[in-house]
Amino acid sequence: MIYNKIPFDVIVCGAGHAGCEAALAAARMGATTLLLTGNIDTIAQMSCNPAIGGQAKGQMVREIDALGGEMGINTDVTGIQFRLLNESKGPAVQSPRAQCDKKMYQFRLKHTLELQPGLHVFQAMVTGLVYSGDKVVGVQTNLDIEFAGKTVVVTTGTFLRGLMHIGLNKNEGGRLGDFTAKTLSASFLAAGIELQRLKTGTPPRLLGRSLDFSQMEEQKGDASPTLFAFHDTRDPEDLFHVEQTGEQRLGWVPGAAQVSCWMTYTTERTAQLVRENLHKSAMYSGEIEGVGPRYCPSIEDKFVRFADKPRHLLFLEPEGRSTNEYYVNGLSTSLPFDVQLEMVRSVPGLQNAELLRPAYAVEYDFAPPTQLFPSLESRKVENLFFAGQINGTSGYEEAAAQGLVAGVNAVRKVRSQPPMVIKRHEGYIGVLIDDLVTKGTREPYRMFTSRAEHRLLFNHGSAELRMLHHAREHGLVSATRLARIEEKKRMIEEWTAAFEKLRAPAGQGSLGDAVRRATTGGGMLPPFPEEFAKQSDAIRSEVLYRVSYQGYLAREQRQIEKLSAIESIKLPADIDYLAVRGLRKESATKLQEFRPYTLGQAARISGVNPADISILMVYLEARRAAGKADRAVGAD
Amino acid sequence: MRKMDSSHDTIVALATPVGTSAIAVVRASGPQCAELARAILGKTPRARFALHGDYRDRHGVVIDDVVATFFAGPKSYTGEDVLEISSHGNPFIAQKILEDLLARGCRAAEAGEFSRRAFLNGRIDLSQAEAVMDLIHARSERALAAANQQLRGSLGRHLSVLTEELLGVLARVEAYIDFPDEDLPVEDRGIVLEGVRRVMAGADRLLATQHYGELLRDGIKTVIVGEPNAGKSSLLNRLVGRERALVSAEPGTTRDFIEERVIIGPHCLRLIDTAGLNPSPAPLEKLGMEKTLERAAEADLFLLVLDATRPRPELPPELLARIDAGNALIVINKIDLAASAGVSLSQLIEQKEIVKISARTGEGLEALVAAVVRRAEAFRRDQGDEVIAINARHAAALERAKVCLQGAMAHLRDDGPVELLASDLRGALDALGEIGGRIDNERMLDHLFATFCIGK
Ligand SMILES: Nc1nc2c(ncn2[C@@H]2O[C@H](COP(=O)(O)OP(=O)(O)OP(=O)(O)O)[C@@H](O)[C@H]2O)c(=O)[nH]1
Ligand SMILES: [Mg+2]
Repeated sequence: MIYNKIPFDVIVCGAGHAGCEAALAAARMGATTLLLTGNIDTIAQMSCNPAIGGQAKGQMVREIDALGGEMGINTDVTGIQFRLLNESKGPAVQSPRAQCDKKMYQFRLKHTLELQPGLHVFQAMVTGLVYSGDKVVGVQTNLDIEFAGKTVVVTTGTFLRGLMHIGLNKNEGGRLGDFTAKTLSASFLAAGIELQRLKTGTPPRLLGRSLDFSQMEEQKGDASPTLFAFHDTRDPEDLFHVEQTGEQRLGWVPGAAQVSCWMTYTTERTAQLVRENLHKSAMYSGEIEGVGPRYCPSIEDKFVRFADKPRHLLFLEPEGRSTNEYYVNGLSTSLPFDVQLEMVRSVPGLQNAELLRPAYAVEYDFAPPTQLFPSLESRKVENLFFAGQINGTSGYEEAAAQGLVAGVNAVRKVRSQPPMVIKRHEGYIGVLIDDLVTKGTREPYRMFTSRAEHRLLFNHGSAELRMLHHAREHGLVSATRLARIEEKKRMIEEWTAAFEKLRAPAGQGSLGDAVRRATTGGGMLPPFPEEFAKQSDAIRSEVLYRVSYQGYLAREQRQIEKLSAIESIKLPADIDYLAVRGLRKESATKLQEFRPYTLGQAARISGVNPADISILMVYLEARRAAGKADRAVGAD
Repeated sequence: MRKMDSSHDTIVALATPVGTSAIAVVRASGPQCAELARAILGKTPRARFALHGDYRDRHGVVIDDVVATFFAGPKSYTGEDVLEISSHGNPFIAQKILEDLLARGCRAAEAGEFSRRAFLNGRIDLSQAEAVMDLIHARSERALAAANQQLRGSLGRHLSVLTEELLGVLARVEAYIDFPDEDLPVEDRGIVLEGVRRVMAGADRLLATQHYGELLRDGIKTVIVGEPNAGKSSLLNRLVGRERALVSAEPGTTRDFIEERVIIGPHCLRLIDTAGLNPSPAPLEKLGMEKTLERAAEADLFLLVLDATRPRPELPPELLARIDAGNALIVINKIDLAASAGVSLSQLIEQKEIVKISARTGEGLEALVAAVVRRAEAFRRDQGDEVIAINARHAAALERAKVCLQGAMAHLRDDGPVELLASDLRGALDALGEIGGRIDNERMLDHLFATFCIGK
């Protein structure tokens, strides 16, 4: 049966971290939105470790928050341990990270979805897409209910032909205990969308009361937590704890009663077990064809590739307040269960450990993201958007960021408006999507600060300022919040300028000079004007950052301007690259396939070299000249 | 706009220098090559196999026995089909072959056209492409050799050594930024500093070739100076081989400078004839002299012409301050008039090379040419077997890289913020990328994951 005569504006398939942001963004923009999930009880599940943020990801969550997304606030409210990474380093590379209560995180997000006007959540597994010509017009489900939609956002994570490996044991599914979406893959292939395989893994989960923490080193959270959401501008009604629904809003103390993580190391015995059983590992016995991430290797990989490193660090991370389950960060493996058990017990503190769930590797289909426009819409099927792990990324934050962008752009598409495209120099989200759609990925893509050319501009505190014009233009935050952000921006700019005008109280030059002397020389900061001291933390720290890093930030700006020259050269959509004389076949084929929008994007496609770009410039020049001649003829 | 239909015709040129070398190579590039080989040798060529046989011209007459090699595009130098015919080194034979190929419908290649095709077919990178431009404009054999080497990637190779080093250094820094929670070895900034120093030294070595590059491209700026009437203009005319400058017995004939390019041995010289220098000049002379001194300020080489009949020349101290044993040759002219030139210029001549000539009779000119060639050779920087001569754009990029590297060294010295250190290292990397093409960040990550065990 067809469920709805009037199509939904946006149908989101999958309620993971990407799907939730996509659905919320769409509904908050006023679009009628349907969120379909195979299991309504696993909404926003953290399939791997129960942590949000960390290097680059933390900054990205703040950008999500600046764009009206939910991940930041959900983390703040359900976090059980907060740490600011790289605190000893400069502001640009400091990243907030939090351990969350895994269940609370899900509950609060599920509740948020339920309370969102215009959003319908329904439990049904999407089995295929409904096409009309080269457009998508709806989805089919396992309940034989069909849903009509103007746009469809696919956020199915690792569930496409998911195959889990524990040694030689194989189970179908995208996550232990869940199903797999098989027929959906076929539906994509039928539409000409190419799929490839990736793999990732997850470590075992242990029972806390079977562990001896006295043999481990404790890692505590920060006394004053760095939060993800911009509480200085957010509307207070956004803040509710999961158990405080409806009318009842109790006080919330951020980062209260934090829990600890624990550190321990593998031993010589662990290494020996890995070496002796390597042939039984799914990854080393050739059972797995997918490519795994280099930054998150299995314990097998670590002992093989870095054979001279005697031991490896493990973190025991609690999965929540109301559970005794612990995640063993660093012990991802696809060795058989009996070896896993022995391996775990070879580690100090884990000698008597009981496993609640085994480690496993999962292989899954992903749709190479070079098949997408920068809006995340498919180039092959109109009105179809892809976000999250299906695009070859890893991590909740990367997924959420794409989900938000896809949700916004689905609505923009329905309204025949141009898409929201965040630029590489505006934030990590821009880097993420540009990398994905222009370069694709060989391994599950994770964000690093080093992927961003303009990292120095991406300090987490400035996310709202960097995203402001997108939030404004696409109506992603409330009018009251927008006004607060604009006021904050104004104050920051005024004070930054004022620091260069005001005289330093002692010594020479401006107050700005004094600040810079103090930061580079490691000396004392000058006393600040009283008015400045009265400003909020957010304003003061951003001003001080801009003042002390002035020279470097200016250099970044100059580079952006230089790049924007080539970035702004548009490539006409109708270029037949195969017919451009002088282009190498390899680049011509790639360009023909990717169809970059700008020369800048073309330059970032792997395999396209500077000579190709020069040839394209020559070609464009020739074409422009020819076009002029044509028009002149036409005018006669 | 020039139409880019380069591959429609087949171009030919002599690939070895004209003259008598052991073999001469004629090269053709374009769609006709395979057919030409069949017609000439009667055999179908196999790609990248040398084919030995008689070269029969279009009338069926054997010109020489030759070795022909066929390269199928795009795996050839130009990216098109290429045919190389090696014949005996007799210039007459090579000429015959060229004529025959032209008669068969090939076109004589323009200067640098092979390289231009290679660039347009994406067979060469940006720095190589610039070498093509140098080739097209090559003024002397030396310049040609340098451009050829650059083309084969000598600059590219040197750069990639620096780039790899810098990527490794950056990976060492980035690892501690991006993976603060990992169990990494204790950060060792000493290794980083050493790496930065090596890159800096490499950049300096490349920069040192810039001046030589200019000498190759623009010619060696050689200024002829001396007293009025010493015979400077006569010498210029001798070296140029025609009456370029006005010569007269009247002192002060040359008022403005005259410039002419000449090829001397394998080198290109920009010869500049100047107004005679007089310690007590008349007002009009003064103007010309000022210009002469201006020219002298930027000269690479001086030919100081002295009149053998005037034993005590008087020269302005500004000029004497500019010349030394390294950049000047003393040319004693008019030896036909005063055979045992008794010029007594103890302080002038000290340790400087002296050549005695007569611009009138041509006596001693060969010795002068030999002396000039020796001087020109001395400008060449020692780069091992390879000649690298970077251009102004390369130099600007290298200078930018150096500024960044200096910034990085300052941060390393002061234990400054690590993200600024990284920013400077990336700045240097970007600057290097401007020479040979952008350096993808993925390559830094490759270094990082190969060096450190990441992933707790
Ligand atoms: N006998 C003899 N006369 C020479 C020789 N070289 C030049 N002369 C003569 O010397 C006179 C001056 O020669 P120029 O070549 O005009 O001298 P210049 O140095 O250019 O003179 P200004 O331009 O006036 O400074 C002319 O009459 C020449 O013919 C030489 O080698 N032998
Ligand atoms: Mg003269």
